[in-house]
Amino acid sequence: MLNIYYGNMKESVYNTAAYFKYDYEDSWIVDPFVKEMIQDVDQSTVLDSGVIDSPVLGKIPPVGLSGGVKTLILVKFEKDKIFNASTCGDNCAKWLLKIAETEDRTVNLLHLMDFGKEPFTVHILNTDQIVHSMEELVSIAGEFV
Amino acid sequence: MKGKHRVIVSTKYLKYDFELKRNLTIIRGESATGKTTLVDMVREYVNNPSGTPVELVCDKKCYVLEGALWKGQLSEISDSIIFIDEGNEFIRTVEFAETIQKTDNYYVIASRESLSTLPYSIEEIYGIRTSGKYGTLKQKYHEFYHICRMYG
Repeated sequence: MLNIYYGNMKESVYNTAAYFKYDYEDSWIVDPFVKEMIQDVDQSTVLDSGVIDSPVLGKIPPVGLSGGVKTLILVKFEKDKIFNASTCGDNCAKWLLKIAETEDRTVNLLHLMDFGKEPFTVHILNTDQIVHSMEELVSIAGEFV
Repeated sequence: MKGKHRVIVSTKYLKYDFELKRNLTIIRGESATGKTTLVDMVREYVNNPSGTPVELVCDKKCYVLEGALWKGQLSEISDSIIFIDEGNEFIRTVEFAETIQKTDNYYVIASRESLSTLPYSIEEIYGIRTSGKYGTLKQKYHEFYHICRMYG
């Protein structure tokens, strides 16, 4: 399940791009799930662990990926860390839910990410409540961001 | 500093063209729209004045503000446009809000956070959208668009 803490959180990693730069592993980039995420969010194709083909920027290294995708990769592989997911746009929301489908993950949000119109399951840690729609989520999380 | 200021930042392959109307402009929107690339291009232009493939056209000087020494850097800058990328924690502080209100600069801040300490207008929240042909070497054109979201 996806656990979210809304608002300032001391334990969370705020600058996820800087963290990614010195932490990512080659094997993460060529993981099939990650390749799919990169294709969907960045519209870019992983050529190998060190080269990604971006339609806008050309051939880029993994540190050149979008801030959102870098954070998603960290959330997937650094299971025990909590990352600032406000570096992710709404186009990353479905991937956060997918990553947390089979294993618990906790992220920190400083804004109201839109999880879409389809029902979803999110555990809001601030109030220890589980919500299934944006309407429910906003009525609770809106107080904290 | 008052009024509207047009900023054009470009390379052989990318071009941003937008107009700033107020002292605080917030850039949000989906991931991979080019927020960080815009700030990177401004930084490249500013840091390498003797030779850079980045062109920047504006009637005001442009700078990138970042890191722990932000306050010292800011004390040296006036009548300019200052870009701040996400990942800079200082933008959330009361100290930053108080400091920038004593300056005459315009600020362009890439952040999805609420930034409750900053007095920005809902009219000055933008996303970046791209046009131009993908998959070719044609220059991709980036422009700002208004973002205003209501829930409930």
